[in-house]
Amino acid sequence: MIIVGMADSAVAKKPVKITTLGLGSCVGVAMYDKRSCIGGMVHIMLPSVENARSKDNLAKFADTGIHYLLDCMLAEGATKSAIKAKIAGGARMFSFSSSAQLNIGERNVIATKEILKQLRIPVLAEDTGENYGRTIVLDTENGELTVKSALKGEKIY
Amino acid sequence: MRMEELDELQASALREIVNIGVGNAVTSLSKMIGKQIKIEVPELKIEKIEKVPEIAGGADTVVSGVIMHVDGDINGYIMMLLSQETAEAICSTISGEEHTDIFTEMNQSLIEEVGHILAGSYVSSLSEFLGLNLKISPPMQTFDMLGAIMDHILIEMSRDVESTLLFDTFFTLEGNRMEGILLTLFDPVSMDKILNKVAEMV
Repeated sequence: MIIVGMADSAVAKKPVKITTLGLGSCVGVAMYDKRSCIGGMVHIMLPSVENARSKDNLAKFADTGIHYLLDCMLAEGATKSAIKAKIAGGARMFSFSSSAQLNIGERNVIATKEILKQLRIPVLAEDTGENYGRTIVLDTENGELTVKSALKGEKIY
Repeated sequence: MRMEELDELQASALREIVNIGVGNAVTSLSKMIGKQIKIEVPELKIEKIEKVPEIAGGADTVVSGVIMHVDGDINGYIMMLLSQETAEAICSTISGEEHTDIFTEMNQSLIEEVGHILAGSYVSSLSEFLGLNLKISPPMQTFDMLGAIMDHILIEMSRDVESTLLFDTFFTLEGNRMEGILLTLFDPVSMDKILNKVAEMV
């Protein structure tokens, strides 16, 4: 099992599993090519590299992170047209009565979906929002994404 | 001023200030629940923001967490993270109930208040020693994976900076393996202010 840290990414081939732990407002993007059984995951913190003071870590942002992950998967031999995505996270862990604007979790989810749309990568499943944390595991045997939580049980997509 | 520029004396002065602050905080908790609490000597580190969940015990470790924002002369966060057993022990000691459900509204606000009191005495001690004006926000409390509890704070900090000054102190309750962490994060500008104050002092 490969553990992807915060603002980190990884690519693996069947039968290796890839996981990222404790997503709150961050978004975990799992991508999978069924034909080559190559999977990838990125744990993003912010919607866009634009306006960021430090742009060194590509995996930190939805825009650069998803492009980077795609490039890594293609380099490993994945076929772009076969790649599908599943996403999780983007929660709002605490509610602030005064915040009318979109919270960071929502903004991360919106940015993630926008980038995937631009890249024409279909989103097969989404487990986002709400107010709880998620740990996700991508199985490169079959592309299944398991979403675990502390109190809300486990779901498989 | 950078952490590495502090000489041995200054570094130990800072460690001592944090130690006294945490000591005061834990004494107030100890009084509340009538149990001895042991604390470890706090660790001071400058860390990449992405590494904080690992240092605090692992991103998927499920804890009862209380978070407060620190502002005034410096900007940062204080978090109290308790294992479920510790949270239960604290609640049952205070409420007198034998079997405690930490998810009741009553106990949730009790944990929140414990965190607030702890952070309050910690911050007032820091504020006094450093001669800085510090305030804490109302507490936010939840029970979830540690990474999820703190990632919005790390996101907030990572917009402007890459690293954080981190103090973490593990404490254990008398007789048990129950433990918790008091974690403090300050951004680099605040870190400079703290280190300069320490340098003036020693």
